[in-house]
Amino acid sequence: MGLARTLFMRALTLITVLVLVIFFMVLVLGATGTSDKILQAMVNEEVMMLRQSLAKTIKDPQELERVINIRKQELMEFYGLTKPWYVRLPDMAWRVLTLELGKARTLKTFAGGNKVSDIVMERLTNTIILVTSATVISAIVGLVLGVRIATRVGGILDRLSSYFSAISYAIPTWWIGIILILVFAFLLRLFPFGGLYSTPPPSDPYMKFLDIIWHAVLPVTTLVIASIGVWIYTTRTIVLNTAQEDFVNAARARGLPEELVRRRYIMRVAAPPILTNVILGLATSISGAILTETVFNWPGLGRLFYDAVLVMDEVVVIALTYIFTLVYVVARFLLEVLYVILDPRVRY
Amino acid sequence: MSTRLKEAFQEFWRLNVSKIGVVFLTVLVILSIYVVVSYPLDFGVRYWNNPLYWADYPKSAPPSWVNYFSNEKIPEHYTFSSIKPSNTLLTESGIRLIYLFKLDFQADKTPTFLSLTVKNVTYYDKPVIIRLNVTRPDGKNIELYRYTVPAPYVDESPPYKRFYDQSKRISLTGDLSVASILARFLSREYNVTIKPSEVNSIGQHKIIFSIPKGDTQFTVLKGDYTFYIIVDTYDSRDSVGEVKLVVGGDVYGFMGTDSLGRDLSVGLLFGFPIALFIGIVTSTITTLLGAGLGIMGGYIGGKLDEVIQRTADFVNNIPLLPLLIFLAFILGQNLWIIVFLLVVFGWPTLTIIVRSMVLQLKSGQFIEAAIAIGAPRWWIMVRHIFPQVAPFIFAQLIFFTPTFILLEAALSFLGLGDPTMPTWGQILEYGFRSGGIYVGLWWWIIPPGLLIIWTAITFVLIALGMEPVVNPRLRRMK
Repeated sequence: MGLARTLFMRALTLITVLVLVIFFMVLVLGATGTSDKILQAMVNEEVMMLRQSLAKTIKDPQELERVINIRKQELMEFYGLTKPWYVRLPDMAWRVLTLELGKARTLKTFAGGNKVSDIVMERLTNTIILVTSATVISAIVGLVLGVRIATRVGGILDRLSSYFSAISYAIPTWWIGIILILVFAFLLRLFPFGGLYSTPPPSDPYMKFLDIIWHAVLPVTTLVIASIGVWIYTTRTIVLNTAQEDFVNAARARGLPEELVRRRYIMRVAAPPILTNVILGLATSISGAILTETVFNWPGLGRLFYDAVLVMDEVVVIALTYIFTLVYVVARFLLEVLYVILDPRVRY
Repeated sequence: MSTRLKEAFQEFWRLNVSKIGVVFLTVLVILSIYVVVSYPLDFGVRYWNNPLYWADYPKSAPPSWVNYFSNEKIPEHYTFSSIKPSNTLLTESGIRLIYLFKLDFQADKTPTFLSLTVKNVTYYDKPVIIRLNVTRPDGKNIELYRYTVPAPYVDESPPYKRFYDQSKRISLTGDLSVASILARFLSREYNVTIKPSEVNSIGQHKIIFSIPKGDTQFTVLKGDYTFYIIVDTYDSRDSVGEVKLVVGGDVYGFMGTDSLGRDLSVGLLFGFPIALFIGIVTSTITTLLGAGLGIMGGYIGGKLDEVIQRTADFVNNIPLLPLLIFLAFILGQNLWIIVFLLVVFGWPTLTIIVRSMVLQLKSGQFIEAAIAIGAPRWWIMVRHIFPQVAPFIFAQLIFFTPTFILLEAALSFLGLGDPTMPTWGQILEYGFRSGGIYVGLWWWIIPPGLLIIWTAITFVLIALGMEPVVNPRLRRMK
């Protein structure tokens, strides 16, 4: 009972965040006249199609204009363009929520379609692949190194890692990516400059998989370099604090093997606060993904964001802002479920 | 109070990171002041984003010091200009002005282009004629170019002024008349038959600075070149304001140029005050707002606290960059809007921390004493609570600064920077978008990034140095 209630409350908070972000977006879109522009574009699109189909049946130009004008008026009415923008707020919010934003101006799906929801959804997987693999690698390396350093505080590795985490706070992720391209793609020719796979992609599925991994090495490395410092430093500090607790000393005094003490007494207690830091770092890793994908031309949501800004495709920008918030909210919820599982205390 | 400050400073100054940080900051500030004093305010629009201004610069040229590291010497960039002729001769028809430019050319490659620019030409009688001749190290003379200044218009009366608003730039590279002169020169002197169109595709500047080897090969001719710009005037009052000859090189200055020929050292220097401005101004406003709301919420409590806490929680829970991109895209790319957005999304972290500190302070005896003698609430907040949290707030101000510098750089890199002011992020963005990284233009890509890091590190170092000064309990765990 307690578990379900806790999770329900978390979900509710996050959904509120999502709703508020959408409301805020729609407010800005309405007040700046952007929503008018988008709806007008949708009306024009339909009117144009109508004109093409009617031109075959109605030969009299005046009659044609009259019919089209009536239809245009109906469409304006339907999309709410005759009403002021603040009346249309809920309608516009629903449009964003369901991605019913019409057609992208220039951006297309890989197959060539221009429906906004299709363009956005097909790229989602690529982003998730990139961010997840980078996070898993950072987590494993960060945990292993962090725990090891915690047992040798003050050593060379300890000092190096604290310098590194201070410096990595000041280095832009995307610039690391650019430098990696310059060194490993341009100078040494070891890895490709970017993209998801070679052109043309290998037909053999196994080779294609290897090809994707080959292309993912540099972007994943970039993301790992950007986040690993925080991982190591956080793990080290939390493990260190836990290791000094009385119950750990008591466990050692009872003569329990060191491995068992570390796993069951230190790590089990240190895990939830470490996870808290991961949750807090989630927004940062999403930002990192946007920039890293841009640099490596990785066909995910982040690169799409850059392309949409470049060609001024506002519907795609809106859809992406929403999707990123959604992805963030969902990922955060999953992490909080994990948190509840790890730390039984938060259930009550 | 002053002794406390002194002690705090001594504590701060004890650490090496503080000293390095302060030295870095001093350099940053000095460079910024230099830029603010010496650059025009409309630098971005008038110079940086104006391709005409950079027409006579080499494109994508590395810094000139690369020549120290390579065996093959790359040609330097030479600009000769003069407002006074080196010689005046009296001829039958009038006065001849001669401008003489000498060039000792020792590079292993030919120059990249050749151009002639004249400015402020005035004549009274007949249009003046401008010619360009060159004498090469081998003693051969080429009459390269001849140009007659546009004749008077109908209804125009003397003096006839030409090229006052905009100077006349003649690119000899790509000019077909120069190409046919050079084709004739090659066949006369070297018996090489080559069509003018072929000269044009090889490049006029290459032929001038080399001797043919076979029919299609050319080797660089090193030595002293003398360029003569000869202006024939027909009235004693005729004058020429300035002549300029550019022998385009393939290396330029200390930092090189980008693909539009823009001198990167100039643009990178301009980035200093902007980065500092964005970092410090945004951080100051954010910190004051965040701390103010934290103190008010914590001390006054009740509904106000509830509202502040909920809002902070909300803003803290949204992914920042996507929303920043959205807003910068919809609201427009303007430095002030970007600063405003960074403030709007930056304050909650501090508010949450300061509030919890104030809640602890609130029950302190000195506060109770102040309430007992009837001090108003604002007085207690300003005089009793603020000084307690001030060191921490100041440390946070420093600590936040690099975050904002990096965020602005990220927005600029995504193409959402203020187009009227070049920043390091924008220079990198253009280098990336125009494909500079794919052809390895390292002098364009590495310096702006290093400058961003340097500026950010400066503040990180100072923040690290301040940690022991501020209550160690309040150290960030992150």
